[in-house]
Amino acid sequence: MKAPALKIVVTVKLVPDPNAVRRIDPATKRLVRTGVDTALNPFDEYAIEAALQLKERLGPETTVTIFTMARESMKESLRKALAMGADDAVMLSDPALEGSDVSLTSYAMAQALKKVGFDVILSGALSDDGNTGGVPGALAEYLGVPGLTNVRKIEEIGDGRIKAQRETDTGYQVVTGPLPALVTVTMAVGEPRYASLKGIMGAKKKTIEILSAADAGIDRPLGSDGAKMEVVAIAAPKSREKARVVEAADGASGAQAIFDFLRERKLV
Amino acid sequence: MRDVIVFVEHSGGQTRKVTFELAAEARRLADALGGKAHAVVAGSGAAALAQQLQNHPLDKIHYTDDPDVDKYLLDPFVDYLEAVAKMTGPSVVLVPNTMLGRDIAGRIAARLNAGLASDVTELRVENGRVQCVAPKLQGSTITTCAFKAGDYGVITVRPNAFSAAPKSMGAEVLSIEKPPGKSYKMAVESDVEEASGELGLEEAPVVVSGGRGLGGPQPFETLLKPLADALGGAVGASRAAADAGWVPYSLQIGQTGKIVSPQLYLAVGISGAIQHKVGMQTAGTIVAINRDGTVPIGETADLLVVGDLFQIVPALTALVQKAKAAHA
Repeated sequence: MKAPALKIVVTVKLVPDPNAVRRIDPATKRLVRTGVDTALNPFDEYAIEAALQLKERLGPETTVTIFTMARESMKESLRKALAMGADDAVMLSDPALEGSDVSLTSYAMAQALKKVGFDVILSGALSDDGNTGGVPGALAEYLGVPGLTNVRKIEEIGDGRIKAQRETDTGYQVVTGPLPALVTVTMAVGEPRYASLKGIMGAKKKTIEILSAADAGIDRPLGSDGAKMEVVAIAAPKSREKARVVEAADGASGAQAIFDFLRERKLV
Repeated sequence: MRDVIVFVEHSGGQTRKVTFELAAEARRLADALGGKAHAVVAGSGAAALAQQLQNHPLDKIHYTDDPDVDKYLLDPFVDYLEAVAKMTGPSVVLVPNTMLGRDIAGRIAARLNAGLASDVTELRVENGRVQCVAPKLQGSTITTCAFKAGDYGVITVRPNAFSAAPKSMGAEVLSIEKPPGKSYKMAVESDVEEASGELGLEEAPVVVSGGRGLGGPQPFETLLKPLADALGGAVGASRAAADAGWVPYSLQIGQTGKIVSPQLYLAVGISGAIQHKVGMQTAGTIVAINRDGTVPIGETADLLVVGDLFQIVPALTALVQKAKAAHA
């Protein structure tokens, strides 16, 4: 029996290159995103991997669309996802959206995703820069679809149903529910694949559609006007003193050095 | 924004320790804002847990033992939390920064059209506005955010960042009515335990963490577990160890895993890449054992002992056990 085709949308965040030094502009108190290379949020690459695995399982009629909200100038950073094997991409891009907080970002993304359409949305469980982890939950709420978080394995999908294993603090749960749904995946889905040379060449011809806030039907105050929070101060963290280094000649002396140190600090 | 609401996380009939930290902080904030401190506890055993919470400085404890909370994923929790938040009016919702808490936080923020502050380690009230201090960008920057007055605000709070302050204030225990017209879709079919006893990794006062230097899964059981037990702590791991399949990802500490802030963090055979540092750099005291004296963990640790972990760890375990026995 042929598996039914699905429309999969992977939401990704474009973050400053994880290998670059990141800083916050003291005037705007926003992350400096210009003049810094942009990359896919490393967690989201796992979501792309999970989506491509589903496409392989379900057949070529299943499509994988990459979705992001970012500046149009970051468009080319999406080519990596297309080179990995996604079919196309959609960007919600509007200068008015800059400075949006978690709530507004999620709302705006939800409006655009309703236009794009989907059977399942896949995303990474956290972002590499803001580290809030709040967007997927808020997105599911604004879309009015069930959320299935921290998935490590999709056991069954299709015919309007999903069955998956999700990680918990103590192990995992098996959860079933209807589609459409929003699914966040953990790193246990498997290492993101590398783009092949053919994939890289092919990605150049794939479409990246740009949606403005108006295209997406966003009707709330945007950017920092619509945001519910503001950054009032930024500071450097307290720096720690460099470690005291002890060369242990043997196990006993190493253990004694630690034990004495813990005693000194009243930790044992 | 006057009242403060604590989401109570519990498992296996036990309230998670972070809840008590949140209760103490809720009291402090509510007093500064001139409001009340509430707790919401939902799920199997909630009535008994609500009674226990009376030993903490709260004004009202709302509970429900609706079986749907355990049968369905997340939504029932959010519904009950929303019901209480709507009752109190614009308020601050405190949620632990745990796997469950993060899932709840995004949802309740959307329901209440609220701002969301994440992984907060310090809270203040200035001119009637709640300010949240949180490390960002891999701990390289500390940001302070403020909610707009008159709105709801949702905050995920880092476990171990605040201290519990048990005190009975004769809190009222109230049952929450089931919100009308709710039907749930994501059904939990089974719950499987894999790493029992590690629930408290984010809350443990001591974390003994192992990395690539352990060379395989066995030393986690034979070396680290006895030391963690002796110190009254939990076992954690670096990403390298989780990626190698030596331990489940639920034990992984770091940017892509759990963020911990224990009084004592012992890094055993972990080089301490930035990825790992993000997950443990706010620990009170950091001790590292490594055979290489030039590893990056030396930048973060208070004490770095250079030597053979396979000899040092059992000897240390014996010393701690002996000291405990002498004390008992």
